[in-house]
Amino acid sequence: MAGGPRGRAAGLLPIALVLGAGLLLTFTLQERYHHRILTLVLVWATMGLSWNIISGYAGQTSFGHQAFFGIGAYVTVLLILHAGLTPWIGMLVSAAVAVVAAALIGFPTFRLSGIYFALATLAYPLILRIAMDFLGYQEVAIPMAREQPALYMQFRDPRANDLLCLGVFGATLLLSRAIERARLGYWLRALRENEAAAEAMGVDTFRCKMAAYMLSAAPAAIAGAVYAHVVLYVVTPDSVFGTLAIVQTLVVCLVGGIGSLWGPVIGAALMLPVSEMLDTWVGDRFPGIQGVMYGAALVAIILVAPEGLYWRLRGLRRGARPAAPPVAVVAGPGPAPAVSRAPDGGGEPLLEARGVSKAFIGLQALDDVSFAVRAGEILGIIGPNGAGKTTLFNVLNGFLPPDRGEVRYRGERISELRPSAVCRRGIGRTFQVVRSFPRLTVLENAMVGGFVRDAEPAAAGARALAALERTGLAARAGALPGSLTTLELRLMELARCLATDPRLVLLDEPLAGLSAEGVEAMIAHIRRLPAAGVTVVIIEHTMHALVRLADRLLVLDHGRRVADGLPAEVTQRPEVIEAYLGTRWLRRAEHHRP
Amino acid sequence: MGGIYAVMSIGLALIFGVMRVVNFAQGDFMMLGMYLTYYLAVAYRLDPLLGALVVVPPFFVLGVLVHRALLVRVTGGGDPQRQMDAQLILTLGLSLIITNATTMVLSPMPRQIRTGYATEAFGLGPLLVNQARAYAFVMAVLLAVVVFVFLTRTDLGKALRAAADEPEAAGYQGIDVRAMHGLAFGIGVALVAAAGGLLATYHPIEPTVGVNFIVLMFVAVVLGGLGSIPGAFVGGLVIGLVQAVTLLVLPLQLQNAGVFIAFLAVLYLRPQGLFGRRLRTV
Amino acid sequence: MLSITGLSVAYGGLHALERVSLEVRAGEFVTIVGPNGAGKTTLLKAISGAVPAAAGRIEYGGRDLGRLAAAARARLGIAHVPEGRKVFPSLTVLENLEMGSYRAEARRRRAEGLDMVYALFPPLRERRGELAGTLSGGQQQMLALGRGLMARPDLLLLDEPSQGLAPRLIEAIFEAIARIREARGLTILLVEQRVVEAVELCDRAYVLETGRIVLEGGRETLLADPRVQRAYLGA
Repeated sequence: MAGGPRGRAAGLLPIALVLGAGLLLTFTLQERYHHRILTLVLVWATMGLSWNIISGYAGQTSFGHQAFFGIGAYVTVLLILHAGLTPWIGMLVSAAVAVVAAALIGFPTFRLSGIYFALATLAYPLILRIAMDFLGYQEVAIPMAREQPALYMQFRDPRANDLLCLGVFGATLLLSRAIERARLGYWLRALRENEAAAEAMGVDTFRCKMAAYMLSAAPAAIAGAVYAHVVLYVVTPDSVFGTLAIVQTLVVCLVGGIGSLWGPVIGAALMLPVSEMLDTWVGDRFPGIQGVMYGAALVAIILVAPEGLYWRLRGLRRGARPAAPPVAVVAGPGPAPAVSRAPDGGGEPLLEARGVSKAFIGLQALDDVSFAVRAGEILGIIGPNGAGKTTLFNVLNGFLPPDRGEVRYRGERISELRPSAVCRRGIGRTFQVVRSFPRLTVLENAMVGGFVRDAEPAAAGARALAALERTGLAARAGALPGSLTTLELRLMELARCLATDPRLVLLDEPLAGLSAEGVEAMIAHIRRLPAAGVTVVIIEHTMHALVRLADRLLVLDHGRRVADGLPAEVTQRPEVIEAYLGTRWLRRAEHHRP
Repeated sequence: MGGIYAVMSIGLALIFGVMRVVNFAQGDFMMLGMYLTYYLAVAYRLDPLLGALVVVPPFFVLGVLVHRALLVRVTGGGDPQRQMDAQLILTLGLSLIITNATTMVLSPMPRQIRTGYATEAFGLGPLLVNQARAYAFVMAVLLAVVVFVFLTRTDLGKALRAAADEPEAAGYQGIDVRAMHGLAFGIGVALVAAAGGLLATYHPIEPTVGVNFIVLMFVAVVLGGLGSIPGAFVGGLVIGLVQAVTLLVLPLQLQNAGVFIAFLAVLYLRPQGLFGRRLRTV
Repeated sequence: MLSITGLSVAYGGLHALERVSLEVRAGEFVTIVGPNGAGKTTLLKAISGAVPAAAGRIEYGGRDLGRLAAAARARLGIAHVPEGRKVFPSLTVLENLEMGSYRAEARRRRAEGLDMVYALFPPLRERRGELAGTLSGGQQQMLALGRGLMARPDLLLLDEPSQGLAPRLIEAIFEAIARIREARGLTILLVEQRVVEAVELCDRAYVLETGRIVLEGGRETLLADPRVQRAYLGA
């Protein structure tokens, strides 16, 4: 996974084995019917892998992926009809068209998320289908080319069809593997697991989704082109844009397991032979038996094993969790962490908020808040629940645009930037409730941050490991976040943030939920940050820890800056005691004071 | 037409509003409603306008049962994103089973109910209004009014809305949120089946008829703001209008293209109103 | 009336509460104070059944609540006024209050309950036809309290009624709570971070810190205890 010749080749063996098995079947199967099943398995495995890129790795469930499948089929066939272009080139053209279509579709559609994205994707194939009907392409037969069958992808020998599909399938497998192992793959999984955390860790989630979508469109188009030639012969809107196309894709992926390289392969190898055979045996008597079977498969898989067979099988042999996570490979000194860095110019504030206001419906969360953070200090921001502390962080790191006022970082106005851009400029943050990427290991969590500075997985891994060492978590690098203690989770989030090599970190209640010993450990880690060139802004609700930790305190109440100054001073101020303990406490305290 | 869309869409919106479940099988329940109305008309000479009412109780029970057997397993608790996927897939699977099983059992052959008024028309000024459509429209509006009264005038209806608003707080008031989900699903299914029955007065009946309508329902529900009942009602009426208008200016094949484009336009133009999630997750 | 022994609650690996034991006697007003993240809200949610207990026992009126669902507990007469108010925003004020009296015992005396709540919070009467989502924070808090009272509960759980409110409003809310108590002789379990207001009202209080009870005592003992201020201000 991370560097080294071994790491680079890992995972290629199973791919070679699967392709070898495909070859073996190609040359041993006798009946045409069996060859047909083989090609179907390969086509739908390809389609599944393609869907898996956007909906599996990136977690953006699409119900319209057959749009690209259909584009592949139609563009290729129409190019033959109208331009006499060989499908070998035509399918590449169609892939390019699909990629462009993905860009056009993705650009507006990725502004939507979750259910809205899924629903919107429904509409595209429907529109294409209507368009094809309207343009008079209800039935487009591929013209026979008796002279040059090979040039027009019309093989008499079924083995040639198998090889064609095997080639497309193999290429898609390799593409998927490459994505899985590249920075993009890590970032896609991170944004699937927690979009906000990914964005805060420097992942431009919009661009990542676009990249994944465009990459997934190409294999789908080629699969469509090939499908038209080896299976359909006559292309109809229903056969390529219809429900069955997306249903087969979904079934293949869901049964096999979403978000893995092998899920769609397993799913296709299992479901298509069964469905084909059912269709041949009883299809005459029971039209629709295939649909019932697919539907039943979907319902069953959701109820019984919603994670799919691949993950279920992997879960069964639990012992085989990657025993030596990439950590082992990254032995040796990684790039030096930001230990010594010239302190930023003394006078200029590192970060400055000027008159920041933010209102939500019926609530003024921030009211004209101004303050400056000096390089190398630990600034504590305190205030009771609902004082606007987290809202302030959300404005500082770009999650929320301020209604009024601005945020400047090293002299640059950053209040209009995306959080990922803010992160890339050197501002990291953690969250009040730890936002881990649950299905990524501790090391991979930190790598997501490390990729901000290094595109190479090996280098990002080294950077991540260095960050884990700084927080004392290196020993847990291969663990999943779910198995960590609260303290370890908080440290992991800190390490992930440090892996982005920040100059400033925003820590949102890093002590919440920790035991007394945990608080001490965390405080020790935070204290070390300024010496390593990292300025700290920390939100805390409870004051006692912060009084010891911070150089300076800023007190917020009801969205307003109430006080600021040295910790010992601030805690004695009446307005602070009032904000915290209420008016009556203050009166009482004054009463008791001699 | 718009009136029936409105009733269908209310059913879908009710299910989404209360349970946050997008029910892909809604179109298939509609189709089953059409078939039941058809058989009632054939076997008992029951007028489809009445048949549409008769189908309400059995489909309510069917909906409650489907919720009990399947949907409870994928609602409440867990990662919302993954759960939403599970719900979509589950109802999609259900939809496939219903469509294809119907094809298997009842054959794909389209059927039609013959009513005296299907071919008659009222003269309304210069316009001719098909009588079947007019009666169906009136019935649809009546159904919508009944639902509306139920939701705003009865404790049960209010509890249903409370459970949709704040499930946690609803529990603290003694409202059994899971039972409310079952109720919502039952009513949603019954409504769409009734809409199917009304549709059967003039629309041919075949196993795949639901697919064409489910997308229209989605459009209506999204148009009206996901989960809003009055919104879905208005959305349904708008769909009917858009279709009618598209028909005036564009060829028949493009009738639904107008609807889909309107759908996408609404999704794009109101992303904050509809999604606004990015701000709240932080 | 309410007795909790050895209650532990865990959220996805986090121990929110660890072996908490406490008791509320009939007619008593008990307060739990403690800083943010101490587990106060979790404790109330465990009592009303919104989160499952990992270990321990919650008894109410001599009956083990066990795995009883939230709705069933509400029907036994436990009313929970949740943190962040959680009014039903798309229902009117009146409908919100009606939902408060959803359980059968309360439904029968709905009119009487409405009179009581309107007398306590006159602004709610004026705005009864408006959607709850359009109310101001303070009015929503009144509505949440009113909704809890409509249930004619035997035990009222109040979670941070002061949260996000201006100081003036906080005083008003606490005054209302005091009046409610006098008028109805309710048993109340209040969770607050505003120490004094909360402790002054109560008979007894517990201090909760990182999931554990660290202090327990009567009103005057706690108010005099310097450890309380230290728990908050650390100074």
